[in-house]
Amino acid sequence: MTFDLTILAPHIPFLVKGAVLTAEACVLALAGSLCIGTIVAALVTSASPVLSRIAYIYVDLFRNIPFIVQLFFFFYGLPEIGIYVNAFATGVIALSIAGGAFTSDVIRSGILSIDPGILEAAEVSGLSKPTIFRKIVMPIALRTSVRPLGSVFINLILTSSILSTITLNELTGSAKIVASDTFRPFEIYAVLLVAYASLTYLVSLAIGALHRYLNRDQTEAA
Amino acid sequence: MRYTAFTSYDIVLLAQGLGVSLALFLATTIIGLLLGSLWAIIRFYRVPVLMQIVTVFAELLKNSPVLVQLFLVFFGLPAFARLNVTPVEAAVITLSGNTAAFVYVIAVSAIESIGRDQIEAARVSGLSRWQVLRHIIAPQAMAFAIGPLTGLLVNQLQVTSLISVIGVVDLTKIGNILNLRTLKPFIVWAIVGGLYYVMAKLVAFGGATLEKRLRAHTAWKGL
Repeated sequence: MTFDLTILAPHIPFLVKGAVLTAEACVLALAGSLCIGTIVAALVTSASPVLSRIAYIYVDLFRNIPFIVQLFFFFYGLPEIGIYVNAFATGVIALSIAGGAFTSDVIRSGILSIDPGILEAAEVSGLSKPTIFRKIVMPIALRTSVRPLGSVFINLILTSSILSTITLNELTGSAKIVASDTFRPFEIYAVLLVAYASLTYLVSLAIGALHRYLNRDQTEAA
Repeated sequence: MRYTAFTSYDIVLLAQGLGVSLALFLATTIIGLLLGSLWAIIRFYRVPVLMQIVTVFAELLKNSPVLVQLFLVFFGLPAFARLNVTPVEAAVITLSGNTAAFVYVIAVSAIESIGRDQIEAARVSGLSRWQVLRHIIAPQAMAFAIGPLTGLLVNQLQVTSLISVIGVVDLTKIGNILNLRTLKPFIVWAIVGGLYYVMAKLVAFGGATLEKRLRAHTAWKGL
């Protein structure tokens, strides 16, 4: 059988629509998982043993259970307790919660890498705890963890393909429809594979640039 | 008539799904480890052409969703090459390839962590290429790689859940079946998630134990 890519040409607008949906879900989930990750990282590194224990359990659970199981849990479970949201919202919520577990781990190690002398200096200067966290801990922690956060984000993009299993027609879901329309699954999935790979490659380039920009005043070459 | 209550037979179903998931995980792990190490060795000896192919292939596999790879093998290969692939075959091919791509990266950095001077010293002492690989590189690379490998395997265990999408009756698929019959998503998915969690913990525990043994020679024994 021949490898004929021209057959896909009429379906490109449809695929682009799917890609836009993927991008929307990923950006929203990135914002969500950054919020959750920051809060959870603050709890894990906090002085309270109870809070850090709870946060640790959350991270441990959501890192060790497959995303598809979490997704089905939310997708079938939320209506059961009277929360009716569409597949897109469910997907974003599930991605944010799963991503939050990975993000919090990255931010936690960023926080722990901060020199205790800096924190002591801040305390001695009379800054309150929330101020220290917002103005000193977070900027340093986020700046040093741009690269690992980037790989979490790339993982998030790859994981978002699983949203096609809950009837959400993002990039993979649209490709599935096109594949059954044209009966050219090999071409469409090969193109999709290369598309995802180049997309994540571009994202990793952007993250490298962002890392260099944020750490431009750092003297040591990382 | 609908039987929505849980029956004792459901435990058998779950155990069956667990068995399928575990068997596929073990099989693809072994194939992936062998294949990934082979790729790393190709890269180590700088085999021309093959090395470039392996690098590009591994990058593609690492940077694309496993679901798309599964679809490519399961739906794409039969249409393109007129090969009939069963769901289980497609799952084995995809998961092995995916694991191999990540193992390749870990193995390459493990080999690079050793340092060429040791290898040169061994060669000068009269060891053959195979002996160098067997007695100098492999033991040290294993000790270096076991930590990242454990992390990878915990991850790959979760990736096996995706094969339910192409119709392999693994633990997730059983969860789906039970969910649709009993309409109790919270209980069903909590049990399925719990089983995956326990398996992941066992893999992590096994990895940690093995790491302790492999690193025993470098451990601080006290004065």
